[in-house]
Amino acid sequence: MIDAIQAFAVIFILGVTIFVARLLAPYITRVYSRVPSRLDKLLNPVEKFIYKICGIDPNHSMGWKQYFLAGLLLNVAQMVIAFLILVFQGKLPLNPMGFPGLNWDLALNTVISFATNTNLQHYNGEATLSILSQMTAIQFLQWTSAATGICMGIAFVRGFIVDSKNMGNFHVDFVRTITRILLPLCLIASLVFVVMGVPQTLSASTTLTTLQGTTQTILTGPVASLDSIMQLGTNGGGFYGANAAYPFMNPSPYSNIFMISLMLLLPTALIFVFGELLGKKREARPLLWGAYIIFGIALALAFIPNIPLVAQGIETRFGGFMSNFYTVTTTAATTGSVNTALSAMHPLTITSGFLGMFIQSIPGGKGIGLMYMVMYIIITVFIVGLMSGRTPEYLGIKITGRDVKLVMVAFLIHPIIILIPTIIAYASGAAAAIGVGGTSVGYTQILYEFTTSAANNGSDFLGASGNTPFFNIATAIVMFIGRYASIAILLALAGSMIGRKSGGTTGLKTESPVFTIVLVASIIILVVLAFFPFLALGPISSFFRGLMNGF
Amino acid sequence: MASDNEKTLAPTKSNESAPGGLRTAFSRKVLIDSVVRLSPKSLLKNPVMLIVEITFFIVAAMAIVPQAFAGVASPSLQIFYVEVAAILLLTVWFSTLSDALAEQQAKSTAGSLRKLETEVSSKKIVTEKWEKKIVIVKSTELRKEDLILIETGDFVPLDADVLEGIAMIDESLVTGESAPVRKAPGDSLIGGSRVVSDTLTAKVTTNPGETFIDQMIKMVESSKRPKTPNEVAITIVLIGLTAIFTIIIVALLGMSIILNLGADLSVLIALYVCLLPTTIGALLPAIGLSGMSRLYKHKIIAKSGKAIETAGDADVVLLDKTGTITVGNRQAIEFVPFASCTEEDVGEAAFLSSWHDDTPEGRSILKLAYEKGFVPKELNSLALSETYPFSASTRTSGVKITGMGLRLPKGGKSGRDRLRIRRKSSTISDQSMAAGIESEIDIVKGAPESIKTIVDSVPSNYDLIVEGISAKGETPIAISRNGEAIGIIRLKDVLKEGIREKIQALKTMGIRPVMITGDQPLTAKSIAAEVGIDEYVAQAKPEDKYSIAKKEQAESRIVAMIGDGTNDAPALSAADVGLAMNSGTEAAKEAANMVDLESNPAKIIDVVMLGKQLLMTRGAVTAFSIANDIAKYFAIMPVLFGAAIPQLQALNVLQLGLKSAVLSALIFNAIIIPLLIPLAMRGIAFKPTSTMTLFLKNTLIYGLGGVIVPFIGIKLIDLLLVGVFHI
Repeated sequence: MIDAIQAFAVIFILGVTIFVARLLAPYITRVYSRVPSRLDKLLNPVEKFIYKICGIDPNHSMGWKQYFLAGLLLNVAQMVIAFLILVFQGKLPLNPMGFPGLNWDLALNTVISFATNTNLQHYNGEATLSILSQMTAIQFLQWTSAATGICMGIAFVRGFIVDSKNMGNFHVDFVRTITRILLPLCLIASLVFVVMGVPQTLSASTTLTTLQGTTQTILTGPVASLDSIMQLGTNGGGFYGANAAYPFMNPSPYSNIFMISLMLLLPTALIFVFGELLGKKREARPLLWGAYIIFGIALALAFIPNIPLVAQGIETRFGGFMSNFYTVTTTAATTGSVNTALSAMHPLTITSGFLGMFIQSIPGGKGIGLMYMVMYIIITVFIVGLMSGRTPEYLGIKITGRDVKLVMVAFLIHPIIILIPTIIAYASGAAAAIGVGGTSVGYTQILYEFTTSAANNGSDFLGASGNTPFFNIATAIVMFIGRYASIAILLALAGSMIGRKSGGTTGLKTESPVFTIVLVASIIILVVLAFFPFLALGPISSFFRGLMNGF
Repeated sequence: MASDNEKTLAPTKSNESAPGGLRTAFSRKVLIDSVVRLSPKSLLKNPVMLIVEITFFIVAAMAIVPQAFAGVASPSLQIFYVEVAAILLLTVWFSTLSDALAEQQAKSTAGSLRKLETEVSSKKIVTEKWEKKIVIVKSTELRKEDLILIETGDFVPLDADVLEGIAMIDESLVTGESAPVRKAPGDSLIGGSRVVSDTLTAKVTTNPGETFIDQMIKMVESSKRPKTPNEVAITIVLIGLTAIFTIIIVALLGMSIILNLGADLSVLIALYVCLLPTTIGALLPAIGLSGMSRLYKHKIIAKSGKAIETAGDADVVLLDKTGTITVGNRQAIEFVPFASCTEEDVGEAAFLSSWHDDTPEGRSILKLAYEKGFVPKELNSLALSETYPFSASTRTSGVKITGMGLRLPKGGKSGRDRLRIRRKSSTISDQSMAAGIESEIDIVKGAPESIKTIVDSVPSNYDLIVEGISAKGETPIAISRNGEAIGIIRLKDVLKEGIREKIQALKTMGIRPVMITGDQPLTAKSIAAEVGIDEYVAQAKPEDKYSIAKKEQAESRIVAMIGDGTNDAPALSAADVGLAMNSGTEAAKEAANMVDLESNPAKIIDVVMLGKQLLMTRGAVTAFSIANDIAKYFAIMPVLFGAAIPQLQALNVLQLGLKSAVLSALIFNAIIIPLLIPLAMRGIAFKPTSTMTLFLKNTLIYGLGGVIVPFIGIKLIDLLLVGVFHI
């Protein structure tokens, strides 16, 4: 259990984050509605130049298919480039440690992992990747995958705007996301990290003599900038294999809190942007409170057991409380950065981590969490909305059979790509090959591996031990489907909203607190229905076996 | 299990021809039908139940040859497998029983409809060589545009329009209205009604098999009934859930085999069937069918199931003032004289001008004048009078009397029987022959604006008085004598009984009632205020309804309206829900998607409520069915892997034993279907409140209730099984 001060700290940190997100939302809204701003003088020429050399017509508008394909194509192209860099890094410059090129399966897994905003790492960054790889393949993909996610979320919202004609232009949104949202925010965040003691340098390592007289090589690099984009972009891929547990990435409890805030900032801000772009600010309420109530439940679950201050695998700088808080947040926002060994966490913390990844929208990845939340709202509106005596409608739009089909398929993808590969991992002996057994503990690790991939989260138990052809390829496929299939289906849903009649004011009031409560109950019921038996086999069973931290 | 319609929202007339309740429907035929429906082929329409039946075959095979299922079955559990298989089959049977019952109900509706158009012989008029002849043909051989002769005692073979003759028609078989109806040329006849007196010639307006009764019959016979949009969407949710649970069960089976968790296949199947949305899957067809039967109990024929659902979605209801809000008969209550005349002058003039006016208004004027003793001396001259019938273009009517008039004695007690007055006047006519005053009287009455244009001058307070009366919601009728405006007759509208409450119910549900009337704005405003309507359209012509409906639709609102005249047809077909009056023209009935056999326009409100009830019932059973799954997980999960992971017993909150857990959950899952059949067939009860209140209330009852009830139900069944059967 946690004490009152810790509870207050949680509420305060989340409160401030929501508040800052609220302040940020109008600015983000203006970026996507292309409202003139003071930054235009500085950025317009830059953007115009980019449009010119890329041959982008900024006034061209896209339907959902075109928008999605533009994004997918760009991502795949980036994957190809990053793949080549990783495979040939041994022959490329900026490789002071002389690391060899990556195996094709690890490289494939890594590029898909980073391009899908998952950042599952089957390698130790500082011992595998050259500076060039870190900066281009890794950090570059963290920017583009974050921007892609935000763009898809914005396009999704545009479909629901009354009288909207199209989804906008992906390339313009993409460029503006980077120049006007990610760059300025990361600049600020990086400076804060530098002040907190995170290194930002191009030199790869510092060699020094310790008190005992031995020499020690300390690996450094452009860590602060990576810190900011990995948290802001809900990426989660770290410079170091130990991720945010490494002192240079996350030096103090303050930087830890700052990271928690950064992870939640954009997903939360985009919820407000949803309301602002629609011109119905109140409609953001069920998304916001739905997300944070379930997030609160997940946190409470993780805080139930007695949290030891010191335990194996837990960073003493943060202690059990901060580690728990961070772990739940990183799964809730599907960031996947970690500041502790997952295997050190209590089964209940792991359960609440699963909850965050199963739901994917508490508040979820930036843009994507929003899309999933709207999906849950539509399912909920449909199932319970009939009980108000009217054909269910959301935002005044009547829900048709086709909409229901799309949301059901979007919801179905998740259990399929988690459960089927988990069985295959055991049946093919791939789990046994890396020493993971069929106990509740082992089962939890494998289930987590595919859940984190499907949810594009990235935290995992396996780490570098997952670097086998089976897990590299299997998780790559799961990450790819989990990202693009879901986005495509949900964009199709939003695309079908364009041109639909929207009027009814007498229907269900989705902005009311009553609806939010029903939404929360419905999300929990849906997720419990789909995943309860598997949680029961994994962490819940571990819990009842009395396994505690370090299970 | 009485399924009377006491609990339905609107009071309905008891009616013998309406489909019978559950008890009467529960016949041997239904039982046989429900068993026949167990064949996998007929279950193809219901995939959820087909899956349950497949699992029955699997468990039955386990019971017979457990050895064939080595690893997932144990021979020692053979009896248990028999029990599980039996309950699985029972589950499917409950579902087919519900189908059979609903179908039986629908068939009895269809049957009672069919009775209306039994084949009768009819007299067809054919013209052969310039000569008209009567040929006796079967009604099925008649075609549209054929001419028929219908004599006393004959049945009207098909829907037809009267061409010649006036007759009394008994429509009680069709509408339940027992009093015979008078039909004159231009009126329409319903196939199946009977001529009580006199003879008619009529033109057939439909081909056999195309009457709206045929359409209704097609509708209620489920196999021909297309699914409504909401049914389609729910079916997709059910398929989606089935897919999810199939994946879960396959994954659990895989895990159990690979990790040696030792789950028994029958327990896994029990979990699967319990999770499947069997409740809603079994009841969905019955809910839709019985919704239509309920509508028929209200004597309304819907041309499609979709129309009923759409009615529940109505945002705006256009109500004709006359007939819907008011009874249609305005009553004269006062004669208001202008300065130059007395009340008596006005009353007598009104009397004269209304003598030939057979409308309810005209009769009420006569009655008022007679009661006040304003019987004019010119009464006998009325025989020689010349009348101007009411004309819609001038909006006036009148009488012109030439020759001598007679003075009648004043007073008289009551009654408006003209014959009596005439008798009285004839007895005194000889005595006072020379009492005539004017040689020619020309009286015109009508809309104040129209009178204003035909008189030479109007008093200065003319408009003031007219407006004063209109403002009270009453109708002023101006009256002029020999080109001079002499006064105003005040007519008052009489509200329909219970209409205020019905309109209030609409408003609390967030539906906007809009009143449409040909009256002046002031009159309209006052009536609207009296019944609590905020929006009205005054001085509207029937054609205006179309533009009003279109305007509301342009703002994405769902419009429901009623209509009867040919003028209403475009609006009826434009409206999302168009309810035509059976007494109306064929064009209106063609254009509408529902027809009210009793021709009561106020029923549009009942239609909206029935639509809502149908949607709510479907939603409630769906939510209940899905919410049930939580308890079933808690019942079966702990025992599924009981052998390999005993720790999961901690989840066994209901404290169930292995066999008892499975059997209790399965029995609950099966038994809930017949328990909910009455609810599905009569619809859930509700009081008109706001959308959100309804939502909250139903979510608490059926959503939260759906989570809690199975915990209690499963435990009770468990206690019974353990206590009585020692399982």
